Amino acid sequence: MLVFVLASSLLLQGTSPPPQAPPGRLRTIAIDEAFAARANLKPGDTVTVSSRADTVASARGAGGRAPGPDAERVIIGAIVRRGADPSEVARGDLRVRMHLDQLQHVSGYGDRVDRFAIATGPSTDIDGTIERINRPAFGFKAYRSRDIAVETSRTFQVVSRFHRAIGVITIVASSVFLLCIMVLKVEERRRDIAALRLMGISRSSVVRSIIIESALVAVLGSLLGVVLGWAASLLVNSHYQAVYSTPLEFSIVTTPVVAFAVSLSLLLGIGAGLLASLRLVRTPPLELFGR
Amino acid sequence: MLGVAIAAAMLLDMVMLATGMRESFRRLLVSRGFELRLAPKGTLPFDTDATIPGVAAITSIMRSNPDIREISPVLGASIHIPVGNRDVSGSVLGVDPSVQGDYELLSGRDPLSADAIVVNDYLLQQLGARVGDTLSVATGYDPQTRTYSGRRTLVITGRVRFIYGANEQSSAAMRRETLEAMRGGDMRDRASLFMVRVREGADAERVRDWIETQIPNVTAISIATAIAQVDARLSYFRQLAVILGAVSLFVGFLLVTTLVTVSVNERAGEIAVMRAIGVSKAHVVQQIVLEGVAISFAGAVLGLGLGLVTARYLNTILSAFPGLPMAIDFFLFQPKAAWSALALLIVSGIGAGVYPAWRAASLPIAESLRREAIA
Repeated sequence: MLVFVLASSLLLQGTSPPPQAPPGRLRTIAIDEAFAARANLKPGDTVTVSSRADTVASARGAGGRAPGPDAERVIIGAIVRRGADPSEVARGDLRVRMHLDQLQHVSGYGDRVDRFAIATGPSTDIDGTIERINRPAFGFKAYRSRDIAVETSRTFQVVSRFHRAIGVITIVASSVFLLCIMVLKVEERRRDIAALRLMGISRSSVVRSIIIESALVAVLGSLLGVVLGWAASLLVNSHYQAVYSTPLEFSIVTTPVVAFAVSLSLLLGIGAGLLASLRLVRTPPLELFGR
Repeated sequence: MLGVAIAAAMLLDMVMLATGMRESFRRLLVSRGFELRLAPKGTLPFDTDATIPGVAAITSIMRSNPDIREISPVLGASIHIPVGNRDVSGSVLGVDPSVQGDYELLSGRDPLSADAIVVNDYLLQQLGARVGDTLSVATGYDPQTRTYSGRRTLVITGRVRFIYGANEQSSAAMRRETLEAMRGGDMRDRASLFMVRVREGADAERVRDWIETQIPNVTAISIATAIAQVDARLSYFRQLAVILGAVSLFVGFLLVTTLVTVSVNERAGEIAVMRAIGVSKAHVVQQIVLEGVAISFAGAVLGLGLGLVTARYLNTILSAFPGLPMAIDFFLFQPKAAWSALALLIVSGIGAGVYPAWRAASLPIAESLRREAIA
């Protein structure tokens, strides 16, 4: 059983007599912000905790019976903010932190836990420690936290793959759009280019000028794109942090990401300009005039 | 045209993503005709290891409601089957074969007797077994003592497909009484889930409310509630679909506008001549707008095939979500989705053609003719 209990196990009893020691000797628990908001609880409130919903329901009923022996009256000692744990997003769980022995008593779980978390010193031989634990281990196994994180992150690996696929499709689509528009825009100026060619300007000069133009447009577009991307990232984080009540950052704009985006944009812009201009300079100038 | 086709493909994919999950999940839920599911209070079916006590009492309470036609209690557990020098683990459902809604029998027969078990193809493959073979099945593993609470010799009587099963998941089913007996005292008269079928014409939501009043230690989930909860958990994909769909539509609009504008600029002289010989502005606008619509339509037709290919690819990626039922598709093709995407593109094509058409129709005729003559 997890250290945390689900919200349905909590009963707020303002009027029933407490089943345990007088308030002065009650122990404290901590609840998360979402729980506090939903149940309208604040530090200092007294509640009854039980792991049995029927205990809760029957105590709430017309009889107003006191909760059974698997319940405990406690005081809300603190309201805590949850960590930025991606696995908790969209689950909507409400969480409570209790002392271990409290939860063991309330749940009837006895002297058992789900796991131990072990912190080691900076110079500890982790592999050796794991091996020493596992050798005589009876009924459990030791793992590095990192290895467990890899195993349990399959969901996020799937989401990452999906994002990458969407990203690739978007880049391919954007490249095609860019090429289409560059070709159209360069085609629009075919008579000007024909005139330049007839005046004696070389093919390479025409191509170079179009590439410089497209590079400049790509640079300006990249800068605007970076600003838009940064603003969109802020919007995404603000929106989803509010929706899921989490401090988790859903979108992070980093220097490598910006560098990659700008480089790709430049490459695509210059490439599109090159393709469009080559197409045009290969056509005889008089043909460009429509003669 | 390729650009418009890609925009159309993206738009179709996003429309499929926005509607596909919900529809796919709804189809899965209604596939066996059970409108309600009861899970331990505050949980979703099989979300936790929690179980519901008092199966007999709960069944008796529900039978008192004339709107409830069938009740199928299900108990979930893990099983371990020794094969050579290794153990094959899987999940097992304890069901009542006469009313179960969890699997579809592919061959053989249901586990009607106490020593019968049905398995899915993945588990059969793991075991290297076939229908008719005998297995030694254990359950209720205690890691402290490394023992099992129960072990039985069972015969594989059938090959099944679990409707809610995930990819590469070893699953089996047996009679609930068999599993209870194997699990021993702590699992007697308990269920992980109840599936409830209501009478035809009965209001499932009303029955749901009645159940929650009568049985306070369960959460009753109707199809509508389940879909709403899944919607909430997967809302990210719907929102992503809306955003990317809007961007695709906008880019498509931009492309068509550019194409039409360039085309109009090229034919400024022709348009001036048409206006000079008496063709009305409205006719010119109509022609140019129709051009935009035609480009959008052609792009949409081309984009349909491309969209279906990319949707299949993206669906393959998302289907790898751990624990996701195989029957769930994120990108579900529905003719309605295709029509919606096409309609959006046509409207976008009309909009894209309006501005250049208006510009073209408003060109000063004499000046345009003079410019063309000089050129």
